[in-house]
Amino acid sequence: MWYEKPGKDTDVVLSSKVTIVRNIKGFSFPAKMSDADRENAMGMIRQAGGNMGFNFIRCDEMDDTAKEDVFDQYYCKYNFLNSEQKTAFLLGKKEGLGVLLGDKEHISIVSFVSGDDILSAYKSAEEVAENFEKEMEIAYSDKLGFLTSDIRYVGTGLSISFLVSLPGIEKTAGALAILSKRAEKYDWQIRPILQSDGNKEAGMFEIKSIATLGVSESDMVSRAQKVIADAVKLERSCRTNIYKKKTLIVEDQFYRSYALLRYARKIEATEVLNLLGWLRFGLDNIKESEVDLDWDTINMLTHKVRRDYTAVDSRGRKNAASAGIRADKIRKALKKDNERG
Amino acid sequence: MRCERCGAPIGNKIIRYNGILLCEKCARDLNVEDPFRGTAMLGQPFSILGELSNALMSASNDLDFANANTQIRCPRCKTSLRDVETNGAVGCIECYNTFNETILKDILKRQGTSEYKGRKPGTRADIDETSAVKDKPETEAPAKPKIEVQPSKPEKKEAPKATKADLLEKIKKADLGTVSDDDLKEAMMLAAKNEDYDLAVRLRDELKSRKGDN
Ligand SMILES: [Zn+2]
Ligand SMILES: [Zn+2]
Repeated sequence: MWYEKPGKDTDVVLSSKVTIVRNIKGFSFPAKMSDADRENAMGMIRQAGGNMGFNFIRCDEMDDTAKEDVFDQYYCKYNFLNSEQKTAFLLGKKEGLGVLLGDKEHISIVSFVSGDDILSAYKSAEEVAENFEKEMEIAYSDKLGFLTSDIRYVGTGLSISFLVSLPGIEKTAGALAILSKRAEKYDWQIRPILQSDGNKEAGMFEIKSIATLGVSESDMVSRAQKVIADAVKLERSCRTNIYKKKTLIVEDQFYRSYALLRYARKIEATEVLNLLGWLRFGLDNIKESEVDLDWDTINMLTHKVRRDYTAVDSRGRKNAASAGIRADKIRKALKKDNERG
Repeated sequence: MRCERCGAPIGNKIIRYNGILLCEKCARDLNVEDPFRGTAMLGQPFSILGELSNALMSASNDLDFANANTQIRCPRCKTSLRDVETNGAVGCIECYNTFNETILKDILKRQGTSEYKGRKPGTRADIDETSAVKDKPETEAPAKPKIEVQPSKPEKKEAPKATKADLLEKIKKADLGTVSDDDLKEAMMLAAKNEDYDLAVRLRDELKSRKGDN
């Protein structure tokens, strides 16, 4: 799994993500496609994808394990995987690199890299986009660039985002506004992440590009690097600052949070994320911590709890059960960590 | 009775603007200000927008601004203007011609520019990989693609009659806030004639916002 690989700045940045969307000339966009056209276009993309080394899977032919896997690794929406329309997925070329077919656009290339590394995420995605552009006629106009169904992406069809955990900024008055202003300067936005139940995920934010016109791809990549560097710097100083001012509180919360995660028998996702936020506060600041814990484990847990397909799938019916399963998994992960040390 | 712009049924208030029947929402969108406040408004407040739309309509180009008013659905995929406005999505490439004005307006509102600067199909972006690592000082402030481009100049009135080309060049670079209404209006017409709709719409918006100030 791409998210289990070590990355840069993983104390703050969980993942770097690049999306590039493309459409095939001569077909309506997916929402307005006839079944015959859909099959036709799928066939073309399947072949081009095959030439690049991708495997083609139709969503309605995936079993639950496969769906869970794609949901977990490529952040596909539940609705995409269980759509009435014929959606499909290309994967298997490289970890973290996949292509959604027949979502809002004909082709949505997604590329994930763990931590802060937008350049490699971008390059993997671009290579795939470039290949599609060479193998088939892509909807493009000199004036507006790549044409998309969603008007927000017309132009480069490129969107860049980071998933970040900012408990320090969130708990520092005014800090979020500062970061938000910075991001705006680059024409980027930062927004809190909401779970499907509408609950805010504690400390979790997405920092995302807006512009697809007026900027080149290289402008966007270099802005991405600047925005994320600012976020990392600010978050670290907020964490340190709070720790210095409220050492006892932070240490107390750190150990309490660890104990809850380590021993709880049922736990809700929102609570887990909140507790993980406190672990982030303490981990680098507390010297000679009494628990053995590393960033990889914290990030893996964050990822797993956020991307819990069964929790979405059950739609509340099995909530009690999934709270128990969740607690079991977390307990095991933390236990392993301690035994290793 | 139906709105000739979006096709929605029209309630008991009938709004006619430039000869087109509009629903309340479209009237608001088009900045047809408070059309119910009596006839005193009818003569002049519309003139600015009217001039622009006339100028835009008379220009012949693939960006056909006239279409949005008369044609309610995309001839190819049958997407309606209302669909585009509510979903922010279009159904096919032809929609980009059909709903050009709406799409362009939306793009400008969100991004401040509609100029494509990305790569061509089948090519690679030219990315400077060294800049990634080096923490280079911020020489070039990121170009904020909103309106202001240069520090505002103190002089309010433009010097003697500049030539038309000069005026456009000057306005492109100037802080719009310092440009007089008359120059803005003239530049707007020029821009539309030159098919620089991007600039034309920006100028129109600037003029509109001034109207709002009073
Ligand atoms: Zn209307
Ligand atoms: Zn269409």
